Amino acid sequence: MSWTLLSVEIALAALGSVLLMLGLLLPEKGRRVMQPVAVIALLGILILGGGLYTAQYSLFNGNYQIDPFGSFFKLLFVAAGILVILSAGRYLERFEERVNEFYSFMIFALLGMVVMASAGELITLYIGLELMTVSFYILTAYLLQDKLSAEAGLKYLILGALSSAILLFGISLVYAVTGTTVIADMAAQFSMQPVMIAGIILILTGFAFKISLVPFHMWAPDIYQGAPIPVTAFLAVGSKAAAFAAMVRVFVIAFPVSTFDWPLLLAILAAITIVVGNLIALVQTDIKRLLAYSSIAQAGYIIVGLVAYNTYGLKGVLFYAMLYVFSNMGAFAAATIVEVETGSTDIKAFNGLARRSPMVAAIMTVCMLSLAGIPPTAGFVGKFYLFSGAIQADYLWLAFVGLIMSMISVYYYLKVAKAMYIGTNDDVSAIKPGKAVGAALWVCLAGTLLFGLYPGPLSNLAQVAIQIFL
Amino acid sequence: MIGFQHYLLLATILFAVGIYGVLSKRNAVAVLMSIELMLNSVNLNFVAINRYIVTDQAVGQLFALIVIVVAAAEVAVGLALIISIFRQRKSVSLNDFNLLKW
Amino acid sequence: MFAWSLELAWLIVLLPFAAFALIGLFLHRWPRLSAYLSILAIGLSFGLSVLVAAHVFLGGMQETFEVSMRWLAMPGLNVDMGLLIDGLTAVMLIVVTSVALLVQIYSWGYMHGDPGFSSYYAYQSVFAGAMLGLVLANNFGQLFVFWELVGLASYLLIGFWFGRHSAKNAAVKAFITNRVGDFGLLLGILFLQIIFGTLNFSGLAAEVAGYTNTAILIVVSILLLAGPIGKSAQFPLHVWLPDAMEGPTPVSALIHAATMVAAGVYLIARAFFIFSATPEVMMLIAVIGGFTALFAATIALVQNDIKRILAYSTLSQLGYMVMAMGIGAMTAGMFHLMTHAFFKSLLFLAAGSVIHAIAGEQDIWKMGRLKDKMPITTWTFVIGALALAGIPPLSGFWSKDEILLGAFAGGYTGLYLLGTLVAFMTAFYMFRLIFVVFFGSGKGVEKAHESPPVMTIPLIILAVMAVIAGFVGSPLMDYAFARFVTYPGAVHYEASTMVIAISSLVAIAGIGLAWAIYQKEWINHLQMRERFSGIYTLLYNKYYIDELYHWLGQRFVYGTAKALFWFDIYVVNGLVNGLAALTGGAGKVLRYTETGQVQTYAAYMLAGVIVIVGLVVLAGFALLI
Repeated sequence: MSWTLLSVEIALAALGSVLLMLGLLLPEKGRRVMQPVAVIALLGILILGGGLYTAQYSLFNGNYQIDPFGSFFKLLFVAAGILVILSAGRYLERFEERVNEFYSFMIFALLGMVVMASAGELITLYIGLELMTVSFYILTAYLLQDKLSAEAGLKYLILGALSSAILLFGISLVYAVTGTTVIADMAAQFSMQPVMIAGIILILTGFAFKISLVPFHMWAPDIYQGAPIPVTAFLAVGSKAAAFAAMVRVFVIAFPVSTFDWPLLLAILAAITIVVGNLIALVQTDIKRLLAYSSIAQAGYIIVGLVAYNTYGLKGVLFYAMLYVFSNMGAFAAATIVEVETGSTDIKAFNGLARRSPMVAAIMTVCMLSLAGIPPTAGFVGKFYLFSGAIQADYLWLAFVGLIMSMISVYYYLKVAKAMYIGTNDDVSAIKPGKAVGAALWVCLAGTLLFGLYPGPLSNLAQVAIQIFL
Repeated sequence: MIGFQHYLLLATILFAVGIYGVLSKRNAVAVLMSIELMLNSVNLNFVAINRYIVTDQAVGQLFALIVIVVAAAEVAVGLALIISIFRQRKSVSLNDFNLLKW
Repeated sequence: MFAWSLELAWLIVLLPFAAFALIGLFLHRWPRLSAYLSILAIGLSFGLSVLVAAHVFLGGMQETFEVSMRWLAMPGLNVDMGLLIDGLTAVMLIVVTSVALLVQIYSWGYMHGDPGFSSYYAYQSVFAGAMLGLVLANNFGQLFVFWELVGLASYLLIGFWFGRHSAKNAAVKAFITNRVGDFGLLLGILFLQIIFGTLNFSGLAAEVAGYTNTAILIVVSILLLAGPIGKSAQFPLHVWLPDAMEGPTPVSALIHAATMVAAGVYLIARAFFIFSATPEVMMLIAVIGGFTALFAATIALVQNDIKRILAYSTLSQLGYMVMAMGIGAMTAGMFHLMTHAFFKSLLFLAAGSVIHAIAGEQDIWKMGRLKDKMPITTWTFVIGALALAGIPPLSGFWSKDEILLGAFAGGYTGLYLLGTLVAFMTAFYMFRLIFVVFFGSGKGVEKAHESPPVMTIPLIILAVMAVIAGFVGSPLMDYAFARFVTYPGAVHYEASTMVIAISSLVAIAGIGLAWAIYQKEWINHLQMRERFSGIYTLLYNKYYIDELYHWLGQRFVYGTAKALFWFDIYVVNGLVNGLAALTGGAGKVLRYTETGQVQTYAAYMLAGVIVIVGLVVLAGFALLI
């Protein structure tokens, strides 16, 4: 075994600590270098992770897996982290002198996600999950003076801890039956007992909370609305994708479908999630809350891929999770700009954005179209994979529900576009996003369009990643 | 003779009591304590399983230790949060935290 | 030789697109830079195309070169993006890039000072890229994508002067008429995918060869044929092409004479294996082509607008090519496509030079005696017209003869006679135009002047091509063209002295008649017009086809539309609004589940767990029972 296999994790841990110390050592004015330092370091880690993409090793007796599946998600998390830090822009001024800690908490949350995606064992998985979640408790309440932020932090803490307890109880039951916590060894020891089923359901609940499946979604809108917007963005794309990664690995490897039909259970949850998420999103007036319900619905779509449980579906999960990073981050970056500029997160604040900053409005529109799944954006290709997987797996009704609700979702996505292009605003001064935010927006646009027009390479990456399940 | 069943039963009861606390207590600190109770029931489970079922490895005990550590971290963050909120709002009653809704 | 150029062939397509992207994104404020970039891109494409063609023709490449990558994979449909290079592709590459390059250079002079100079070059680039992507496509899926892009570029360029009402209408008309054809083409492509499971040309060729269900093959072929009928403006979808002359003249030269309209002919050649599998469809193609050739030539006899005469001449020549495809003389058709591209773009550009010189006037009766003022334009135009009329040894002579020979030797006597008649008419109307505009007795236009070199040099180059391009397919060079551009099922005949003699004589007779009427005025054309006023009016009004379509449109389309409108307003809208109110209402109700109380959320979660456990238990019981 070579230490280089763990270089991504080690580098992230080191980066988090270094940033924390830099914040203490640097004088007030010198802290401006932290953003470029963090971004450049993460870019380096991204390259490091890319280099290790095809490596496949089982470390510490299977407790930790280095494989393309984990690597795919590592790339996803790091990319999301870079985009979040870039797009935060002038919003960070609100954190005042605590901004340096913000970066290190971000990096630690990122490390937690990475551990979750690669954990080959439930204890390790739990540690990664808690590292991520505890960091997010703090990040959510980061604007302590803001009542909403503090309230969101407290709510997230209580519900998050509750869901962890439920997950842990489930793990303990599964451990009781199989006698092991190593995911790869579980399937062999699997026996169909009520205790086992109860354990699986509790584990499912724990994950369902993190990816906000209805009815475990209630936290998401409140926390998304209350948290500082860069944190919301990271929660939506990072935390959710990490839970997907862990869930896919645990369910596909450890729980054989032949004995317990968990895909059917998930299919019901997915359908309810898609319907409820989209319906409530229709009537939202706050952009963060709208994106929260949208992300609930999107989680429903992604779960369709796991329900399908075949090449197309699993590939779709990975593909969609990745494109979701770009499309959703584009939307959040635009929302950040608007919030910084107008101080409001109401959709009305977007009125007349097309005249104030045509570029931001155009990119926001493209991202919204992608989330709605309209060609030629990436969202269309992703939904295509997911739903064709479901159809292949004979879940025609689920694909049907997904398609109908996607159509309905176009309404609220275009509501934002309508505000930007048709709405009028008294303030017509031009908005100039900073260079970093601009870069993040362009990257999001490029990702959204590129994966839509030429899905081949990403699809191949996903194909390589899911080889470990086939 | 006290056996595995009893431990499991006790753990389940503790878990249920914890859930009851989470749902009924209005004080945020009490809710945190209830969650701790739930986590401890899990610890009890792990240790008992390790003692009676999977005796060859100490995985269950290890898991219990890790859960204790993580729970401590969680509580540390939670209490810090509650204190700063208390300074701001002079209340730790969960009933008062409903600005975010709909 | 130059084998490496094949590996770089994708650049041929990419360069113009890159130019388009750069101009569109960054350079639209610098018109000169835009034009330089666009010309540079197409110039590089031209250079690469020459290397590719040199490899194919001189290097003696035998097998086709094909690369492919998967663009989209889904159950039941794989769409590839690939390149296919063989003799046919190489010819098209040369034709498209060389004409596009010359037209873009010429446009520098013609479009000078236009406020939309940058966008003009951007559109030109996107057209060039799309057209090259079309000819390099190795499957129907990719071909269709570029086919539509070409249509889009054509739409943009016809309506380039969108301030003019007629240009706007013409653009819409072209787009809609093409839609009709493209719809058939798309259906045909879908059928191919369903029946044969592939869209790749070589894959399809193998599949079709072993396919025996003639009826289905005929249906698919006819659906596919709708595409070329629309794009190559064959009867009855020809109505858009004459109107497309509203675009800038260089656009007419490039898109509506030399390249895009030839895409339909190219498609028939590329998919020759499908069409030639059923003799019935081949006969249909031949008849459509022959009819269009004659029909358009008769209209061209009496038109007064210089560009419209050329437009109807284009229609007529496209009819020739399609007819050649139908009688199996695919090589001859492609040969004529190539020569026609050169001399027709020459004629259009020269006409553009005339229009440019006399401030936008297009009526031939308002011109006259231009040969003294514009010698280069005049003589290049005459060369182009001689080539079109089929006077030996110019390029049009060789290619037109090939087609007539194919009809004659293949036993299609009717089509042969028709073709010869059209050849006579062609010579007549072209020289009617020449005598009226350039020679004639008219008093001439005072302020006319020769165009700048940036416009005349492309004319001279094209004139040289119009003279020599035909030799590659002539007996003098041992039918070199036919050796490279041919497919199984295509026929080729040795030249026959009788056919050559007759067609040459007919062409000379046509020129002579035009000389007698319009130069010497031995016969007064105004009296002729009086005497045959019925036919004249019919021809002048293009057989009233446009009016017929308009009437049909009014009666059927608007009638149906009214009925559908009622249905839409009262039934569909009612349903949709009802559903929308329902979903919105559901959203309004559901949002209040979110109370803001954290313990309620926890309760929902735990209730969720209980419900799931309950469901599983129930399902378990159901299994036990």
